[in-house]
Amino acid sequence: MTARPDPFIHPITRLSICGLLAAGADWVEFAALRDAAEISDSVLSKQSVILEDAGYVEVRKGAVGRRPRTWFRLTAKGRQALEDHLAWLTQLEETVSASTRDTTQVTANPVNERTAPRTVPSTTD
Amino acid sequence: MRDVARNPVALELLRVQRNRLADRLRPPWWYLTGSAIAWAVGFTGQFSLRYLPRVDYWGIGIASVAVWFLLQWGLTRATGIKVGPRPLRVLRDGLFYYRPGRPAAIAMFVVCLAVGEAQFLLLRHGLLAAAIAAAVLGVAAEVVLQQAWLREVRQALRDGGGAE
Repeated sequence: MTARPDPFIHPITRLSICGLLAAGADWVEFAALRDAAEISDSVLSKQSVILEDAGYVEVRKGAVGRRPRTWFRLTAKGRQALEDHLAWLTQLEETVSASTRDTTQVTANPVNERTAPRTVPSTTD
Repeated sequence: MRDVARNPVALELLRVQRNRLADRLRPPWWYLTGSAIAWAVGFTGQFSLRYLPRVDYWGIGIASVAVWFLLQWGLTRATGIKVGPRPLRVLRDGLFYYRPGRPAAIAMFVVCLAVGEAQFLLLRHGLLAAAIAAAVLGVAAEVVLQQAWLREVRQALRDGGGAE
């Protein structure tokens, strides 16, 4: 495996946040991100601070009337880290599905090994 | 906190979450109505040139662009997702940097020019009814293209194709 896991993106909540921010939108609002990731306000606040400190996420705070609004955007550094992490995850997924496939084949066809034609040395020579 | 190393289903979860985010980008009723009005105002420019010389042609154009930006701002506020035009990025990278929904956006621009030109020619030949019909068709085409643009952006959000 060449790709490596990123310790900041490794927990699934942070992977969700970064993955959603990398989907194509310029900025995503707090509520939209929270609803899409199906996480609580406090979890999103806590995890976004960690990502912001790591330089992966840019945070912009504003207000509409009295309501505070927080917007998030993935930085170039965060995007690169996410791409590397997703590459690693994809490799992992392929490895896991390949090993599962092998295990399934062995358990599903145990007779095949016994009934499979054996290579017998030719006696005609 | 769950560990994705033992859970490659994380990628599938991310796909589901992106779908959920994309589904948020449904335009409210006022967005398409407002767009239709903005385009209708924009397409009255040629009529004002010919029949209402006191009305500023460029003023109409600027007003409809301002309404369009206002609608984009409203859509961003309503959905919590900013996908609209980025003037600073255009200045830095030019008009043709990759953005989700670019084909539809280009088609909108082309239709706008085509309708304007058609109206100009029709009015020059005194075909007022045909010019009005061109304007109505133009508004309909622009609204359809605007929906297509949003559809493309939603698809890009689902695929993660908008990531640069």
